[in-house]
Order: sequence, then structure tokens, then C-alpha cells
Amino acid sequence: MPTLLELQRAVRGDLLGQNEEADPYVVPAGLTTAARLSVYRNTMFGALTKALRLSYPAVDLLVGQEFFDQAARIFRENEPPRGACLDEYGGGFAEFIAHFRPAASLPYLPGVARLEWAVSGALHAPDVAALDLSCLSALGPADRGRVAFVPHPSVSLVHADCPVDAIWRAVLAGDDAAMAAIDLGSGPVWLLVQRCATRVDVLRISEREWRFAALLCAARPLQAALDEVPDLDASAALAGHLAAGRFTGFSLDQAP
Amino acid sequence: MSSEPLAACGSIPARAGIGLRFQHHQAVIERKPPAAWLEVHTENYMGDGAPTRDLDVIRCDYPMSLHGVGLSLGSAEGLDCGHLARIRQVAERVEPALVSEHLSWSISGGIYLADLLPLPMTEEALATVCRHVEQTQSYLRRQILVENPSSYLRFRHSTIPEWEFLAAVAQRTGCGILCDVNNIYVSAANHGWQARAYLDALPAHAIGEIHLAGHSVRQLGDGRVLRIDDHGSPALPEVWQLYCEALSLFGPVPTLIEWDTNVPPLETLLDEAARAEALLTNAARSLIRADAA
Repeated sequence: MPTLLELQRAVRGDLLGQNEEADPYVVPAGLTTAARLSVYRNTMFGALTKALRLSYPAVDLLVGQEFFDQAARIFRENEPPRGACLDEYGGGFAEFIAHFRPAASLPYLPGVARLEWAVSGALHAPDVAALDLSCLSALGPADRGRVAFVPHPSVSLVHADCPVDAIWRAVLAGDDAAMAAIDLGSGPVWLLVQRCATRVDVLRISEREWRFAALLCAARPLQAALDEVPDLDASAALAGHLAAGRFTGFSLDQAP
Repeated sequence: MSSEPLAACGSIPARAGIGLRFQHHQAVIERKPPAAWLEVHTENYMGDGAPTRDLDVIRCDYPMSLHGVGLSLGSAEGLDCGHLARIRQVAERVEPALVSEHLSWSISGGIYLADLLPLPMTEEALATVCRHVEQTQSYLRRQILVENPSSYLRFRHSTIPEWEFLAAVAQRTGCGILCDVNNIYVSAANHGWQARAYLDALPAHAIGEIHLAGHSVRQLGDGRVLRIDDHGSPALPEVWQLYCEALSLFGPVPTLIEWDTNVPPLETLLDEAARAEALLTNAARSLIRADAA
């Protein structure tokens, strides 16, 4: 007689297609264990594929349902969810697609997927109040350079070698004309994703602004970020971030 | 172990409610349809996105119930404390009158298997479930309801009938029972049990809620069928009949119309709820007549 732990391990292995160890434990009653387990497997795979489809609607539209199902099947076998909150399932899908040979003819697909994951993260991110600017203005000039910001949890930065934001918008809007007008050779895009009051914004910014924002979001002290990205209108960039509520707090860097 | 009743926030009336899904958020906010109460899946509101903010508005107008699908009360490896903490956060935000989970397991080896998997009906599993129900009630500081799932297989080493197992969980932990009559019908048909005998074995005082839903019937080729709980159609007449029997045994109990796939227009859910509501009203009248007699 298996312990509960052994039984659950056997059923898990069976459901994930790793073994067929559950069979001896199941009452056959006229139907094979495989047929019985397939009911559970179908529900499970259906739920995971649906979760991926909800997070990656543009990828789904770009490749079509059949292709998406096939990619999702291999992905969920490689990376089954670690938690029950399926909104958070599928963060590795862009990386998976980048190495998924059948998708190699769509070089923009991993970039679109990265953007969609950032948008999905922004949609579900916690609500946190923006930084109270009076706390910043109370600092002396010497301290300002030591400010290390805490980014809002809905903010993320994505860059890609082609205009994935335009592809993402056109495909979700079903705008074939916009889709046809996209020039894949038009160069890289530098994107800032953030949830605003009622929607998620995907903003195209310059490479310098992007690098500066990435440093600030990584909690690099303000002066260090300024030094690393010269030739930037940093006060305008910083004012823009603060006005848009992209930071929720800060600490003062103690390094000399 | 304690069988003391634990406090709940507010209450759900012994009337018919509907399962609220994302596609109906806007309609519920704008039209405030006449549902007596609403139930949502806890896991869908663990982020701070638009659905959760919708619920902040909706909960002002309806008594709420939180129905979890991911806690995995039957996992041998213990509860995921992070998930339990997130359930508490949702409960603090929504202030539901009822919180429920399932008599099943979904997590093994740290992997979430995204379905309500069947437990072996053994003393070991019973002790595990009771420990986890107590842990959950103590952490949430309230009673929870535990729901009987539909099942498609049984284990050879099971020694306790499911109805006795469920009754024992309620008796040992003081939790309530969410009696899903569709699931009883489906499991009874799949395993050759007597659905009515299942109902008879449940402690009436512990029944805190009833679920009504649809299921599909899969033909197996050799003339036999497997019934599959998919919440994708109206409850069948046989399930309504079982519901009437449940009301005659338990009296009027908050009843939910549950629909998760092929979700129909809100009006269809409200029509089904009105049908349950009429039966609940009858059940309440017979209770009054019985009292008067």
C-alpha cells in the first residue's frame, strides 16, 4: 500500500507523462487507468494552455491556434507551474519560443512575447502609491545624487531588434494595413511598460532614456546613473518618471 | 482538535447566487442584476489588476463567497504557506461571508497540477486533510467549507467511503461542507454509488452551501459512459432532482449556479438562479409548515 506521498508522486509522474506508476494503485472497473487519468490530464493541460493564451494573445494570433497549442504543450511539459496562481504562469515562454525551432522563421516572435509578459505583469502588479515628491525635495543637493529609487511594480523595460510594439498593437487591433506597413528592418525599439489608471501603457523611448531608466529601476544611485548615461537630458527624463509615478520610494546609497 | 464554530464575516442568505466570471464584471457593475450573492475563484483575484479593482466595487453591492481551487488540502507534502497567505490577503480585501476549498489535492513535488485530483480514502489521507483544514481555519481565523469533487478514478487501498470521509473532516475540524450535488451525481454515476445515500450520510447541520452545475457525458464506445464535470452547460434534470432531495434533507441552504466553460450570458445564469430560488422558497415554506405542525 503506498503512502499518500508515494501515491501523489506516482500520479504526478503519470499526469506529466514521465512514467506509468499509478496503474497498480487504481481500481480498473472496466476502464483503463490511462483513460481515467486522461480526464485529469485534459483538464490540467486545458487550464495551462488557457493561462498562456491569456498572457500571450498576440503570439496566439500571430502563429494560429494549432501552432500555439503545440508550443504550449512542449512548454508546459518542460516548465509546469510552481504555484496555483495561473496569472503568473508562463514567464519563461518568450525564452522557450526563442529556442523553439518551428518558430525560427518568425524572428520577432520572442520580442513580442517578452512585451506581452511585461504587459501581463503590469496588469496584475500590486497597487502601490507613487513616491511623495516632497520627500525628495527635502533632500540637500549632496544627498540627491545618492538617491536609489524603488520602481513601481508595474514598470518594466523591454527592448527588441525590431518594432515589436507596432506588431503587438496591429495584431491585437486586427489592423492588417498597419501590419503590412511594418518594416522589420526599421531598427531596434526601446520600450517602457507601465500600468496607468485604467490601462497599460507601452511607450517608445530613446535608447539613452531606456538605459537611464533601466539603471534607476535597478536601484543604481542617481549620480551613478547620470555618469553612466552621458548626453541625456536627465532632468527632463527624471521629471517624466516622477510625474508618471514610476517610483514608489527611495533609499540613500551609503557607498562612498 | 476543535469542533467549536469559528466566526465568519457577515452572512450569505439561504438564497441563490451565481458564480461571477470576468466576462460579466462590467454588466454586474453597470446593471446590478438581482443575484442574491456572488462567488468568485480566489486565485483570480490575487493580483491588483482590473478584475480585483472591479471586485472592490462589486462587493459593496453583494454578499461574497471566495471559492479556492489551488490550496491542495490533501497534499502529503504540506500546505503552500505562501498561497495560504495570499488567500488571507484576498479575504481581507473582499471580506467574504464564505470561504471554501476542495477535498482533493493539486500539488506534488512543488508542481501545481491544475486540477482537483482524487485522494485515496484512507486514515492517512483523512488525518492529512484534517490537519490542513485546521491549519487553514486557524490562519484565516474563520471556518471554511470543504467541497466534494467529481472523480473519475478510485484507489484500491481506499477504506473509507467518500461521504464518511467528508463527514469525518467536518466533525473533526468544525469546518462546513460545500455539498456539490452535481459532483455527487457525477461521481456516483462513475463509480456505481447511490447518490441519495451519499446525501443521507452528510451531517445536515454542517452543510453551508450547495453547488449546482452542468456536466458532460462521454461515450466510451462499449456502450458505457463516463460523466465529466465541466461546468459548461445547465444542470441536468437528474441533478435538479438530487438538489430537491438535498433541500428536503438539509433545509434551505445558500445555493450557487456555477459555470466555468462556455460561460453563457448573465441572463442565463440569473434564470438558473431563479429556478433554484423557487425551490429554496418552497423548502423554507415546508420548514415553516413542519414547525407549525
